[in-house]
Amino acid sequence: MKVLSKAKLEAALNKLSDRNEVFVPMQKGQQSGYFTWKSFENGQDELMLDALNVYQSPKNAVLPQTEKMYSIKSQGVEVNIDQTYEDAHPTIIFGARGCDVKGIIAMDDVFLTRGYEDSFYKARRSGNTIIANACYEPGANCFCNAMEVNSLEPVGADVILRDAGDGYVWEVKSDKGEAVTALIADLLEEKEAKLPEVKPFIQKVDYSGVAEKLKSMFDHPLWDKLSQPCINCGMCTYVCPSCYCFDIQVKMWGEEGYRFRAWDSCMFEEYSREAGGGNPRGASKERFRQRFLHKLEFFKERYGTPLCTGCGRCIIVCPTDINIVRIIDAVKEAEINA
Amino acid sequence: MKEITNKVQAIAAKLFEEGKIDVFLAWEKGELNFKTKSYVARNALDVKNIVFDEYSIYNVSNSLLKFRDSHERIGIAVKGCDSRGIVRLLEDLQIKRDRLYIVGIPCPGMKDPLAAARNHGGFSKKQEEDGLAKKCLDCIQPNPVIYDELVGPEQSPRQQGDRFARVKEIEQMSADERYKFWEDTFSTCIRCYACRQVCVACDCRTCIFDEMKPQWVGRENSSTDNMMYHLVKHSHMAGRCIECGECERVCPVNIPLMLLNRKLIKDVGTLFGGPEAGMQYVEGSKPPLSVYRENDPDSFL
Ligand code: SF4
Ligand code: SF4
Ligand code: SF4
Ligand code: SF4
Ligand code: SF4
Repeated sequence: MKVLSKAKLEAALNKLSDRNEVFVPMQKGQQSGYFTWKSFENGQDELMLDALNVYQSPKNAVLPQTEKMYSIKSQGVEVNIDQTYEDAHPTIIFGARGCDVKGIIAMDDVFLTRGYEDSFYKARRSGNTIIANACYEPGANCFCNAMEVNSLEPVGADVILRDAGDGYVWEVKSDKGEAVTALIADLLEEKEAKLPEVKPFIQKVDYSGVAEKLKSMFDHPLWDKLSQPCINCGMCTYVCPSCYCFDIQVKMWGEEGYRFRAWDSCMFEEYSREAGGGNPRGASKERFRQRFLHKLEFFKERYGTPLCTGCGRCIIVCPTDINIVRIIDAVKEAEINA
Repeated sequence: MKEITNKVQAIAAKLFEEGKIDVFLAWEKGELNFKTKSYVARNALDVKNIVFDEYSIYNVSNSLLKFRDSHERIGIAVKGCDSRGIVRLLEDLQIKRDRLYIVGIPCPGMKDPLAAARNHGGFSKKQEEDGLAKKCLDCIQPNPVIYDELVGPEQSPRQQGDRFARVKEIEQMSADERYKFWEDTFSTCIRCYACRQVCVACDCRTCIFDEMKPQWVGRENSSTDNMMYHLVKHSHMAGRCIECGECERVCPVNIPLMLLNRKLIKDVGTLFGGPEAGMQYVEGSKPPLSVYRENDPDSFL
């Protein structure tokens, strides 16, 4: 098998960065997330490939939190699009866990299928290669196995890395994977490596039947109770690898300006406010319910797979201990009085 | 703390039985030892779920915001910082005093469940310290300032030294240095607005950041919009921030928000004097910058 020895990891990242923007998991000052290898500062930043995961997911690489779409110039009553910014520059997400790969594959469904292709997303994704990092030891809040993710064989990865102690086994999975492999071919060695033992999942989650059951639970009293502590901050949606909601806004200075899109969150009151001022999800509970129904029911209905990938991030960061695993349990246990 | 829990439970049960309250706001235990979260008890049977333990850090006065438009009579257990939040809501006429039965708990200092969750979650390579939370080490008012009943022995403030020391250091910087400092500090903000949502003093019904026509502050993650968000949010807190530290505690990217809050506390103290925000409740009183008088100095206009 092909192996990238850890001693050559930095050399490989340097080499890949010649022609690609390479996003790697890092602890960067107070932040923990995917940042470009070029921004890595020796002695200050820490590479987190050997940690379970980082707080900010890699979705930023294909759906930046703020993305300029096109610039505008107006002359009198005429408004002209000056330039569009479809960005297909080559990027590599290096070391994404299976849950985060699934997040991107789910976004592919949203932005590239069902009759409409989002050209901005399509451009970024066309230049993007995913190098996944297989998980042998799930963490305390991981439950990807219950959410149709195989953490050892992430679907959609172009290369899969397997941490074999002093090196990464390098498994090519696609043509894109072949192409990036060619860039560092001289750093890879052909040898045998011993793979780690696969540890069991700590979280036990049973998602089966949940999407179907939720169909008749829109008005169930459980939402009142479950949503009570939630303060509708957007933290859970912003750290989530698969939440993709955005808003399109404009910045103008006199006659010139540009449109951009920016992440938005169903947890925000303003997100569902209508032009006339009404809001179908004005109450905190309604926004809370939307988040979980979208994750666990609506997405499954439309795309055949849940939108939660089981990464466990929202469970860790939520200031009021809202735990999606407990919500799945509560739905399973709920009684439905027709 | 078991004793305090028992007492609070007994008080809540009695209030329910006597028909004096419809809900009781406090904390409950989550599935793991460090998971203590806000809780709403709705009847005498729920009371057994109420706890007060070393992780009851969440500022429950924030939970009152969900009840401001309804008529329930509310029992609520508060620590020192939480009680200051209640004063803020009373001053802002968000809730009526006679709807509340306040059980004050002098606070021995709390640990941070979020830090514990991060340690437990395995995303970081270094473990965070599991002692008292930073906000509790900086606490100047562990004893409730407003209550109908007090449970447990008085505590002394834990804050040591000059709490404005770091603020003063930053004041010494040149304007350019200072600008750079704040620009860097806010550049990592992901604009999740958790610092706003967790804040009891952020009780405006329509927040300026949610206004779309006109849109006062853009949604870009750029230094301009990030700075605008923070400068506006924090200046709205001038004279209102009760120093509960919740914003800084919940921030997912660890932005030192209390630094700016303390700068404003210091400035408001110097310019207007008087007790700090939420330190005492006098019916009808308003914090500085919340009143308008004909003879206000307006030399800057
Ligand atoms: S949720 Fe699954 S894929 Fe993600 S880090 Fe945990 S074990 Fe790995
Ligand atoms: S579930 Fe938690 S993180 Fe998400 S909006 Fe509610 S309080 Fe914030
Ligand atoms: S909902 Fe939570 S656990 Fe599921 S993918 Fe999003 S952040 Fe991860
Ligand atoms: S909680 Fe932190 S990241 Fe979120 S908006 Fe506030 S400062 Fe920014
Ligand atoms: S600004 Fe922060 S410290 Fe001040 S009251 Fe709000 S949450 Fe508490």
